Amino acid sequence: MKLSLKTVFYLLTIIMTASISEGATAKMKAYKLDIPKTVGVWTRPDSPRLVDSTNIFKYMNGAGELYLAYGFNHINVYEYSADNQEIISVELYHMKTSDDAFGLLSLDWASDSAALNDSPADKTIAPSSRTLYGSGLLRIWSDNIYARVMAYRETPASKEAVLSLGRAIVANRSIPPEPELLNVLSHTIGSDWKLRKDRIGYFRSYLVLNSLYYVSHENILNLDISTEAVTAPYEKMSDTENRRRAQFLFVKYANPDLARQALEHFHKAYLPEHKQNFAASPMTESPNFFKLEDGWLGYKLHDKYIMLVFECPDQETAGIIIQSGLRSALFQK
Amino acid sequence: MKDERHVITRRDFIRGTVGAAVGTSILGFDWSEAEAKAVRSSLVTVVRDKNAMDSSKNVDSAIVKKMLDQTLTGFTGKKNAKDAWLSLVKPDDTIGLVPTDHLNPTHDEVTDAVRSSLVDAGIPKKRIIMAQGDPSMPKKCTALIALPALKAHWLTGIGTVFKTYIMYSGSPDSYHEENSAKLGEIWNLPFVKGKTKLVLVDALYPLCDKGPQPDPRYKWAYNGLIAGTDPVAVETVSLQILNEKRKAMRGEPWPLSPPPLCVEAADKMYKLGTSQMKEIKIEHFGWKQDLLL
Repeated sequence: MKLSLKTVFYLLTIIMTASISEGATAKMKAYKLDIPKTVGVWTRPDSPRLVDSTNIFKYMNGAGELYLAYGFNHINVYEYSADNQEIISVELYHMKTSDDAFGLLSLDWASDSAALNDSPADKTIAPSSRTLYGSGLLRIWSDNIYARVMAYRETPASKEAVLSLGRAIVANRSIPPEPELLNVLSHTIGSDWKLRKDRIGYFRSYLVLNSLYYVSHENILNLDISTEAVTAPYEKMSDTENRRRAQFLFVKYANPDLARQALEHFHKAYLPEHKQNFAASPMTESPNFFKLEDGWLGYKLHDKYIMLVFECPDQETAGIIIQSGLRSALFQK
Repeated sequence: MKDERHVITRRDFIRGTVGAAVGTSILGFDWSEAEAKAVRSSLVTVVRDKNAMDSSKNVDSAIVKKMLDQTLTGFTGKKNAKDAWLSLVKPDDTIGLVPTDHLNPTHDEVTDAVRSSLVDAGIPKKRIIMAQGDPSMPKKCTALIALPALKAHWLTGIGTVFKTYIMYSGSPDSYHEENSAKLGEIWNLPFVKGKTKLVLVDALYPLCDKGPQPDPRYKWAYNGLIAGTDPVAVETVSLQILNEKRKAMRGEPWPLSPPPLCVEAADKMYKLGTSQMKEIKIEHFGWKQDLLL
């Protein structure tokens, strides 16, 4: 039997589509989570609502920008209802990587640990809690899932139900480490500067950066889904009254060219009165420093990394923070 | 190189030049012309009642009604709510109520109190419509009552007064990030301009962090209504309350991030009112604890 080229192509397309679908289904099976049908007096429908990038804005308006700013796959939404009770909502954000799910949790550490699947504290740079609870809202980082479980009215019963759902979400799931990039942060710098662990944020977008530490309404560091960034303040321990603080920002680009272009963009927008004078310098070469309205700004470009320090009270400390970040980055390589 | 567009950065806020920067970079407008204007004056009322909500955050409609009456008489200087309304709207107006339904929705009890108070003032029921939505909604109305709830917003800093009419633009996505500075222009659209007779902010249970989704940790019982006819002054007072609450929560300054651009722009560019606290007279009635002003 002789098949035309067109027919062969057609058959091949069917076979390939079928095998891709099979792979996708297998992946979806891996995502499947068993959360109870009933918890306390609350019951959920059989199937979740599925939200993906095509309908996320319909589901949560502009808030969708946040999730698309990370590697986002889809959300499963369950609503638990009960007579004479406010609902409990469960949103399971299936992210592309565990790092992306961590990033969402890292946007706000201000809650108590729910202690459902914490890491050993001595093995993390960020707070070791992976489940945070406050005022009826439980937030979870569990492998590639970020979850929000919220009781619309907090009562002892609804709190127990929320925590019970949290336990079901994290059960039997792996506990990957926090993003490797966090290793560019040091617990202390010298003898006087301490990392504010509870202000560490991991992200890929300038919108998220601005919600953590405002730099510019425009994307002057060329952040996008291919970049990884971490920011945190260091605080001077000996000056508790004035809370002297320096904000450290470390960005890893896909390649050195992108890093250089980003720093050029940043310099032009943020330091227009200063002449650009930087190179992808060796580790030993000094960073660039500028005395600005709110203290010293320092930056350094190295390979595909940019390190910046904002609001530093002196040039020397800015340099030490940058060099410390760079040393750690190179050590990881 | 001097002709290159200025990019708004953190430094503009530190230097206090953000207004000028917004003017030249986003709006194409020279701020300095506006700076020379005479000192203005706007009245904003803040009415609070510590029993407006119970411990489960159920709203007491009767108390809200009383707070609304106090707002209206305190604001207009009239002897009762009916006279107050009739000094703001006409009996033959078609009045659009514009609550917000997103993130921190306006309490139904507040919207209902306004509706029934208008009816009590002699406005026919059929002339009072719910007017949140697309541009066709304000076109049906001759008067609008803006009823936002007090809240921060993760893309625009604050998401209270000026965001209320974002759907009237027909393109809400065009007003995020730096373009949030332009939110005031919606209030000057031909079918919106001059129609807002009262801005009444539901500050019963505000949200002081940006979200982007509802987060009970950052809501607190302020139990208040904030009102005025100058939307910029009302937004400025609202902003002050949010910032003070944030500072109190963390025990250190915790400015909204990103910082809101729309408030000063609404003043300087769109001439919708004053964003200068020194030009705003705040009349406070009722519960004083943690007033944050």
